Amino acid sequence: MNIACNDRERILVDGTAEEWAALEAHADDCAACRDEVAAWRNLSVAASELHEQWDSPALWPRIERALAGQSASTRALWLERLLGSWNLTSLRWQTAAAALLLIAITGAAVWVVPHRNTGDPFAGSLLKDRTVRNVEKAEVAYEEAIDKLDAQARPQLENASTPLMSSYREKLQVLDSAITDLKLQAGVNPANGHLRRQLLAMYQEKQDTLEEVLEAKPQ
Amino acid sequence: MGAMGLALPWEARITQGPGGLYLQAPNENCSAQRGRVEPTETTTGVSCVAAQLSPDDSALASACQAGDLRAFERLYHLHGSRMKSMARNLLGTTSDAEDAVQDTFLKIQRSIATFRGQSSFATWSFRILINTCYDLRRSRMRKKEVSQDEPVAPEAAPRPEPRAPAAHPSLKLALERAVSQLTRHQREVFLMYEVEGMRHAEIAAVLEISETASKNTLFQAKKNLRQMLEAPRSSAAEAR
Repeated sequence: MNIACNDRERILVDGTAEEWAALEAHADDCAACRDEVAAWRNLSVAASELHEQWDSPALWPRIERALAGQSASTRALWLERLLGSWNLTSLRWQTAAAALLLIAITGAAVWVVPHRNTGDPFAGSLLKDRTVRNVEKAEVAYEEAIDKLDAQARPQLENASTPLMSSYREKLQVLDSAITDLKLQAGVNPANGHLRRQLLAMYQEKQDTLEEVLEAKPQ
Repeated sequence: MGAMGLALPWEARITQGPGGLYLQAPNENCSAQRGRVEPTETTTGVSCVAAQLSPDDSALASACQAGDLRAFERLYHLHGSRMKSMARNLLGTTSDAEDAVQDTFLKIQRSIATFRGQSSFATWSFRILINTCYDLRRSRMRKKEVSQDEPVAPEAAPRPEPRAPAAHPSLKLALERAVSQLTRHQREVFLMYEVEGMRHAEIAAVLEISETASKNTLFQAKKNLRQMLEAPRSSAAEAR
């Protein structure tokens, strides 16, 4: 392959191996091209010295911690947004919860009254004495377990000042209030299965909320 | 034009191998390929990055998308070293480079859902790294501007970080300074090709330019570097 000096620049930009070999052969007899090719190469060699390799044993653990932290905070943010969309801090939510509770209690009362008139106190959802005792026993055990959970979550709820924790605190207050009301209702009418189920649902909601509090990363 | 005043002893270390030109034995691992000399694109075949872009590149991306931290660790082991070096050359210090690599991984995690596989995962990660380096540089410069407004103790002034012992530290320093004077595009292409051993195809993908543009930019970068490195020596010779 014949190479002339004016091919040099093109080869330096995008020459094939064959063209480079031809340029080198040409450079043996051409001082200008020899200098140019040598300088070009020397620059590449010098550049390769700029590559730095050093050990940084602490870097990956640092990155890993940061990634884990970011992942956790993303999850918390997602939960916060979800709860935020429910607007737990607003009175609207609390009013809605209270209205639901009122509807549930009224519904239960409306259902219970006609069944009382049947003359069979144990028909429908009215519980037998033994069953009532068993349910009450289970409720007490469940309440104790939830109280333990509450005691664990309490420092986190009291100390943290994030909007998420404030929402949790308010939600728990609403739940406690609803539980107290339902317990009063259940005390008056212990055989009412609907009230018991409402109470169980409130306990479950409280348990879930407390578990979420404990899982949330302390700020 | 006379020979550029770069140290000729290096030339003796250049060897011709089956895959192209090497500073050391061509059979060595990827780090040996760092010293490649043209032409590489058509002869070396597979560059370091490409060699590491195994078929599981997309599997790695999927695992990262699933939030698997071990996948991020694998990405770090595959490309962390090259990322650190690239960041070191763009930012100037190893600590800034490590910060940039950490920020890059966090950005990858944050935006992994947007990765659609249009480029390789490694290429995409390098693009994030480069942008992160410039972001970090801008923020460091802003901090510096703020601190310059306040009286600074002499020992607090930033000093150039010494590099690892090298054969020609002054030449390296001169080259480093010259590289910093290139345009952003020229600097990126030069560092990726000549320092990190990436192929033009990979550089084109990272910078979202054509391969031809990458080759032309490299040529311009080297031409400018030659002029910058040669000028003081020529004037010194004239003075003598």
